[in-house]
Amino acid sequence: MPNFIQILASIIEPLPAPVKSIIKLTLAESFIKAVVFPGALFGIILGLFAVWYERKILARIMLRVGPLHVGKVSGILQLVADALKILSKERIVPDVRNKYLFVLMPGVALVLSLLLFAFLPFGAGWIIYPSDIGLLLFFGVLAVSPIPIVLAGYAAGSKYPFIGMSRFALQLFGYEIPMFLSLTGIIMSARSFDLVKIVEAQSIMPFILPQFLGFIVFFITMIAESERIPFDIPTAESEIVSGWHTEYSGVYFLMIQFTSYEKTLALCVLASLIYLGGWHGPSIPFVRETISAPFWVILKALILFTILVIIRGAYPRLTLGRVLDIGWKYLIPLGFINLLLTSGLSALLVLG
Amino acid sequence: MIQELVVETLNNALILYVMFCLLAPIIFYLISVILAPKRPSKVKKMLFESGQTPIPYRVSPYPIEYFPYVIIYVAYALLALVAFITSISLMESTETMYVGVIVLSIITAVSIYLSLFMKNLTQKLERGGG
Repeated sequence: MPNFIQILASIIEPLPAPVKSIIKLTLAESFIKAVVFPGALFGIILGLFAVWYERKILARIMLRVGPLHVGKVSGILQLVADALKILSKERIVPDVRNKYLFVLMPGVALVLSLLLFAFLPFGAGWIIYPSDIGLLLFFGVLAVSPIPIVLAGYAAGSKYPFIGMSRFALQLFGYEIPMFLSLTGIIMSARSFDLVKIVEAQSIMPFILPQFLGFIVFFITMIAESERIPFDIPTAESEIVSGWHTEYSGVYFLMIQFTSYEKTLALCVLASLIYLGGWHGPSIPFVRETISAPFWVILKALILFTILVIIRGAYPRLTLGRVLDIGWKYLIPLGFINLLLTSGLSALLVLG
Repeated sequence: MIQELVVETLNNALILYVMFCLLAPIIFYLISVILAPKRPSKVKKMLFESGQTPIPYRVSPYPIEYFPYVIIYVAYALLALVAFITSISLMESTETMYVGVIVLSIITAVSIYLSLFMKNLTQKLERGGG
């Protein structure tokens, strides 16, 4: 009995050479990884789903229904309608300090947030760019991602974006270092910067168990990194209108919103990989591992995203001073304690 | 030569993905060009002031309130960076592991001491003081 590839080959064979090469390209592994999964298409669909999912959960917390009418199932197409609405709004570029920077920065921020997915594995073979220093590359792109935000605030030149930008720059101090420390604990345990090897090191026990302190630190800094409530100080609506992106509208606003969700989701996927065991999970009957692996990663990431949304619905915004205090009074010492426990435990194991 | 380069590029998932990432904002922008109207006016070009009296461009003092935090975080950033870079080599042998444990014990103790005894870092200038 001929398999699927043989049938496909027999269909392609009589076609002209250029058409054949295009079909071959689209069926190539590199193209599927870059464009379909875990690449562009997946990133966009996951982003849209996350917005809808967040609105639905927030509505439940506030005793509302949420999106309902557009699309047959629970208003699932509301997000497409909203995106189209924002895209059809006029692109207004006000008299800002630097127009080129102002127009370019939302696009740069979007590119950087999408790039994060290039280094995240969704299974042993499901990764766009496998690398021995995957975690380092991820953190490198993540560390660069605040630059367009600061430049966007600077380029606007008016008072609310300026206050938002300076708040963002100060908040950056509060969470970058604890995040560094929690990631160091993971690298010490796995003895590798490769995210695939880090997940493989959790085949017996996910790192959340021996490094619970590190997970708490990482999770809190993750919320701050993605500027979500209670750490939305740079964009606090009730205080500074919309902070650093007050002057943006239309397509620029859409890019900024999309950037925020993509970054949050990438961080949730990273947390599921480094703390929750990644693709390790109970085997699903009649489902191959190549399919069940991404399922477990996405499921774990969505659980973390749900907690994030519940926190958004339940807690009020912190003040800037409080965030800075939490950073150096609690998160940094906890990060060091986690490192000490990790290295101490390893030393004891070696001694034993 | 060019054909080989094109084939090599198209067979590299990272290059393809970066190309799509770069295309994403351009696609958004082009859709907006097609869908969005263009009716410029002087009012629309004004900066958002939320109904307050507009502030013209000027040099404004930057608050020093949180400056001590910046200093303490820069000090911690160096420590965190060293720990991050040396994390694997620290775990390589028993000897380096012990050294790591001792150094981390001291840093942890210092960070706990600082967080317990330095209550408030916010800098405020008091009238008539000193």
